[in-house]
Amino acid sequence: MHVELTINDSPRELFVDESESLATALRRAGHTEVLCGCDGGTCGVSKVFVDDEVRMACGMDALEADGTAVRTVQALGRQDALHPIQQAFIDHHAVQCGFCIPGMIIEAAALLEENPDPSPETVRAAIDDTLCRCTGYQKPVQAILDAAERLRTPPVADDGVIANE
Amino acid sequence: MSDSVGDSAETADAHPLEWDEPEDNRKPPEDRTAVSNRVEKVDDEKLVTGNARYTADFVHNFRSVGRVSVVRSEIPHGRVLDIDRSTAESIDGVWAVLTPDSDIIPESLYTSAGQSYPEPSPWDMHVLHEHVRYVGDPVCAVVAVDQPTADRAAETIEVSYEQYEHVVDPELAFSSDAPQLFGPDEVDNEIVGHDYDRNRMAHIEGELGSVSSAFERDDCVVHETTWETIRQSHANVEKHTALAYTDEDDRHVLITSTQVPHHTRRQLAHLFDIPIRDIRVKKPRVGGGFGGKQAMVIEPIALACSLAVDRPVLYEASRREEFGAMRSRHPMRVRARSAVTEDGAIEALELYALSNTGAYGSHGMTVAGNVGSKPLPLYSKVPNVRFEADIVHTNTPQTGAMRGYGAPQGTLALEGHLDVVARDLGVDPIAFRQDHYMEVGDLDEIAGMMGGEGAERRIRSCGLDECIERGKAAIGWDELEQPDDPDCHRGVGMALSAQGTGVAGDELGGAQLMLNEDGSFHLHVGGVDIGTGADTAFVQIAAETLGCSPETIIIKSSDTDVTPFDYGAYASSTTYISGMAVRKAAAGVRERLFEWASRMLDVPIGSLVAVDDRVRCETTGESVTFEEIGYESMYGEDDREHIMATGSHSTDESPPPFAAQFADVTVDSTTGEFTVNQLVVAVDCGVAINPGMAEGQIEGANHMSYELAVSDGITVDADGAATVESFDEYGLPSATETPPIEAILVETHEPTGPFGAKSVAEVPTNTVPPALSNAIADAVGVRISSMPITPATIRDKLTE
Repeated sequence: MHVELTINDSPRELFVDESESLATALRRAGHTEVLCGCDGGTCGVSKVFVDDEVRMACGMDALEADGTAVRTVQALGRQDALHPIQQAFIDHHAVQCGFCIPGMIIEAAALLEENPDPSPETVRAAIDDTLCRCTGYQKPVQAILDAAERLRTPPVADDGVIANE
Repeated sequence: MSDSVGDSAETADAHPLEWDEPEDNRKPPEDRTAVSNRVEKVDDEKLVTGNARYTADFVHNFRSVGRVSVVRSEIPHGRVLDIDRSTAESIDGVWAVLTPDSDIIPESLYTSAGQSYPEPSPWDMHVLHEHVRYVGDPVCAVVAVDQPTADRAAETIEVSYEQYEHVVDPELAFSSDAPQLFGPDEVDNEIVGHDYDRNRMAHIEGELGSVSSAFERDDCVVHETTWETIRQSHANVEKHTALAYTDEDDRHVLITSTQVPHHTRRQLAHLFDIPIRDIRVKKPRVGGGFGGKQAMVIEPIALACSLAVDRPVLYEASRREEFGAMRSRHPMRVRARSAVTEDGAIEALELYALSNTGAYGSHGMTVAGNVGSKPLPLYSKVPNVRFEADIVHTNTPQTGAMRGYGAPQGTLALEGHLDVVARDLGVDPIAFRQDHYMEVGDLDEIAGMMGGEGAERRIRSCGLDECIERGKAAIGWDELEQPDDPDCHRGVGMALSAQGTGVAGDELGGAQLMLNEDGSFHLHVGGVDIGTGADTAFVQIAAETLGCSPETIIIKSSDTDVTPFDYGAYASSTTYISGMAVRKAAAGVRERLFEWASRMLDVPIGSLVAVDDRVRCETTGESVTFEEIGYESMYGEDDREHIMATGSHSTDESPPPFAAQFADVTVDSTTGEFTVNQLVVAVDCGVAINPGMAEGQIEGANHMSYELAVSDGITVDADGAATVESFDEYGLPSATETPPIEAILVETHEPTGPFGAKSVAEVPTNTVPPALSNAIADAVGVRISSMPITPATIRDKLTE
């Protein structure tokens, strides 16, 4: 069986098994930024956007993604052009082993799109189904709150002109 | 109060207070250019973008990679009589089915414990077992074209067993009437005190002074308490994963999620009778270890499968296997006894641990030893100290190394016990501790009382006073406000902890540093970054030594073909041991840079300093950049040289880091429901090489410690089988379930460590269970001594 979808805005055709998860199909297609720490749908690490909705790719059939637009953490930023959320995670030392971080950042991006000024409690609730063994969540929460502030206050370029506005 | 620090002249000589420290190892904060800075973690950009590669990601290097599914014992104890694999072998896409009698499966015994040689763990395992000892023991491995095919084939395999009696409770197992897990020919155990007739794999004890005479004294009150801990899962989010293949040079390569690449290389070589030189172990990014990967857990199966099918093979454990068939923290029952005079002088302390090592004995003796040897030395002023432990087998899942390594179990017992005693005597629990704990200059003999000669250590840094002072202030110890609701009671509790920094006298790390012509460096280290930030700390240590920017150092770690040797990431050793190897390599390179600069500038070497990526003459003010030295040394007219140096470090020192933990809790006395309002933990880790990363280690450790206090852990049923199969069933506290954690760094200077550093990441794992138990006693007057602490256990105690 095959599904047609876009992955990070590129049209793709994937050949998939009937019972295969979207995470498995994406990984086979080379998208190893989609990670999974469970046996399906419980650790939150594999989160991606599917048509702008956050889904755990390991808890969703690949067939269900037919005709959708899938965006992974790589759609947010590259190493030479990091998204403010990614930069905030780095600046706050919120990353240790990094395995849960792509899922955490996807969830943070969805949250901040909907709520640009969340409380710490709201941030914790948003990432509640993304498990992290390393950090105790303290620094990821701080990073997301700081990223919210950065996104609310666009960076001022050297010439004093607000970028992208 | 008597003083146990009876230095004989001999031991005092062996452990001088004054340490011969290089002058530039001790820098005031304002002079530090790379260490003590919140330098960006060197692998962060690839981690936040998903560009980092973990073991399973390397399947894309190959056209086709076999996948493994392991058939595991469904009975707690018995012998395999027959394995019907006919259906499995007839399935399209099945490449091999391996059983205990397959040629490729070694007949020899081994231990999975990733320890130095010879491993202080019994050799009691086979790669696949005929004699199965717990529900989850590997019996058969299927290799197939893809995971669904391997899993489907594994399900068709029928194993018939002769069933034996089994035992799940460690107290019942420790008896000559109990079913015996190991026959005389089934284990190779060099450890003293084993008695397999009673399922005991080891017995250890040590004593300073005479505890029994103190217990008999008329002027002492004897207290006895008993504490129990859960079977905790490492819950490393990246599952155990290993990719095995044979390369174009006919050498065997494992890309694997491990904390111990060099031990794994040696242990695989011994087990499979392959020369060490023909095995290469590469550690990519690792998604957390916490001790669970200080073990050769799945690599033997992956290698056997790859050899059997002569193709690359990936074995990725399932999460169900992670909970039921990988490793876990030893559940223990620890008895604490003390003899204390009426005016609060502790005359004797004793801990006895009964450790449940599960079906096999990896790390069994050493973890149990640390129940005593980590927490007891805190109270070095106590004259009579005793520790004893029995480590017994049960037909339950395997245990192993886990962050804290016995210290959490011992710390709960000791710090809980001291709180019980202080409350009973009506003395301040903090002052009570302060009267007895160690200080700079002490010779700690307790750490060595079970370790033979030479295991004593001199205490050269100790920030306990400041840890307590700042922790108390942060938690509001003296100004606690009670809630308005009369049923709700707020309390605070505290606990202290000490760990070690590496295993004294049993560590080795190596590093190599090379200059490039543009003034940048390649740093190769054996030290293993498993997500801790070790690579970044190594870069900072090298940069501080060389006077260069951290960005100019490219680090490569943990590939046994390429990087120097290292014992691995365990025992809180990495920054201290491997970091010192890096420091030595960098000092060697700096020496060569000075030699070249002296020639190029025509000034004496003694006038030179390395700063801002250049060597400068302090007399003339002239300087030459590392880049200029690089080009001159590589392409100049004469005396060309590739500037490089190596460093290697091993030591008998293992300075303790210290932690003071505080917990603030509100308990509803009608329901037992409780809220942890705040956890504060102040840690003396010497000089924090990277304060941001050190705080992250402390917060993460405290989160794990909180789980140890409030989670059921991996529960087992009457067959000893894990009843936890997924994260949904395991109590890993989520973001909303985790209390706010405040980490406080208390700086001291440890002269034996690189730039004053000692360890940080284990000590805050030990302290939440006792601090929370003590806080609940403070709030509502009941004592929870069996973990986990739950509303139900509190309610039961309140209604007793």
